Amino acid sequence: MKSKTVTIIDYGMGNIGSLSNAFNYLGAKVKILSDPYKIEKSNIAILPGVGSFHKAMKIIKKNSIDKAIDNIISKGDYLFCICLGMQLLASGSFEDKFTKGLGIIPNQVDKFTFKETKNKIPHVGFNQVFFEKGNKLFKGLSSGTDFYFVHSYRMLPEKMKKNISRTNYGVNFMSSLVKDNIYATQFHPEKSQSNGIKLLDNFLKITQ
Amino acid sequence: MIKKRLIFTLLFEKDSFFLSRNFRLQKIGNYDWLKKNYDFSVITESVDEIILLNVSRDENEIQNFCEIIKTFTKECFIPISAGGKISSLDVAKKYIQSGADKLVINSNLFKKNLLKKIANTFGEQSIVGSLDYMNINDNFIFYKKNGSTKINIKTKNIFDTLAKLPIGEIILNSIDMDGTSNGFDFSILKRIPKNFQKPIIYAGGAGNYKHLLDAFKKKEIDSISTANLLNFVGDGLQEARKQLIKKNIKLAKWI
Repeated sequence: MKSKTVTIIDYGMGNIGSLSNAFNYLGAKVKILSDPYKIEKSNIAILPGVGSFHKAMKIIKKNSIDKAIDNIISKGDYLFCICLGMQLLASGSFEDKFTKGLGIIPNQVDKFTFKETKNKIPHVGFNQVFFEKGNKLFKGLSSGTDFYFVHSYRMLPEKMKKNISRTNYGVNFMSSLVKDNIYATQFHPEKSQSNGIKLLDNFLKITQ
Repeated sequence: MIKKRLIFTLLFEKDSFFLSRNFRLQKIGNYDWLKKNYDFSVITESVDEIILLNVSRDENEIQNFCEIIKTFTKECFIPISAGGKISSLDVAKKYIQSGADKLVINSNLFKKNLLKKIANTFGEQSIVGSLDYMNINDNFIFYKKNGSTKINIKTKNIFDTLAKLPIGEIILNSIDMDGTSNGFDFSILKRIPKNFQKPIIYAGGAGNYKHLLDAFKKKEIDSISTANLLNFVGDGLQEARKQLIKKNIKLAKWI
């Protein structure tokens, strides 16, 4: 089989090395790109991200990466968003002040509070991910599998019902979503031992 | 449900791997030696996270350590924290660009401007504060710079101060117990305020599976770190993890 080429969108936020290593490990070729005209030609693109929503959106808009992502989606190509990358899909985030997101998913992003979760913040470590049978991202894994999280904000779960997973951290939140050819996880598959490698392999197999 | 975490810490100076006992460093071998003598995949597949610390006495020694970070991130798919010599945003960037997910900050922990700069770039969750202490009859004295410099702060104020810093987690490391394999000293736990909101990584003294079990049973402790490779030779760590899960300690399971 011809090896697949995965584009990792580099906009200066997050650990790109580990993702690149994980896809290499799975036999894919990796291109790390920041030029929107090159990014939009990708068949498989990864939107990673760690840190500030506000700062990320500013960079993404300034460099026209939002337009490149829109083009990938309208061509029907594949997009996988991780951690802050998943949150950026939202209509907006209440981090510091309200910032508009990419608006691809109608939900909003908000901070965990100690008051509602009765848990320490950030949510850091392995936690269980619950999903319904037939969710192709989790093929071969059982509901309740552990994945690694590190975040203080999360996508609020309203509006989407199908093809999502839930995780509990005092409150239930959306830990992954699938919508058409868009895949997103709040957790880090590239940091989740063999469980995460399996999930990334599932994603690569979906991208036929 | 969030799981507890078992973390392995490795100390490096240039390309050599060190063990520490009461903060005195002993050279063990270089990275190749480590790989030859230990099946490292067994270790990385038995822990939830890895911490790499740059303990070089040469203040400018950043590049070799970045190579060490790169080597680890190529081979293990778990979170990697890197620490030591993070005196500027520039060093923090170099560690993150080499593949680190989090930054461990000890000597510069109370430099708020530096922490803010790093948090603004990589998020508060990327900073792990590290605090070394000695216990003298339940009076705690806190140290920085590899245990060589006292921090002028009282125990009753320390956790309030830590709570206000823009950091994600705290490592509490006992200098008295460090590297002794005699088990943990739990006496500082009762000084932690009930509403303290940052996850705590407990370190210093783990020698065997029983020590890990005792520590994981404490509700204040979210994670344990051990740096004593020689205690967990061969499949020691893998076996310890299995036993802990058997004893109902909530640790992540992998396929």
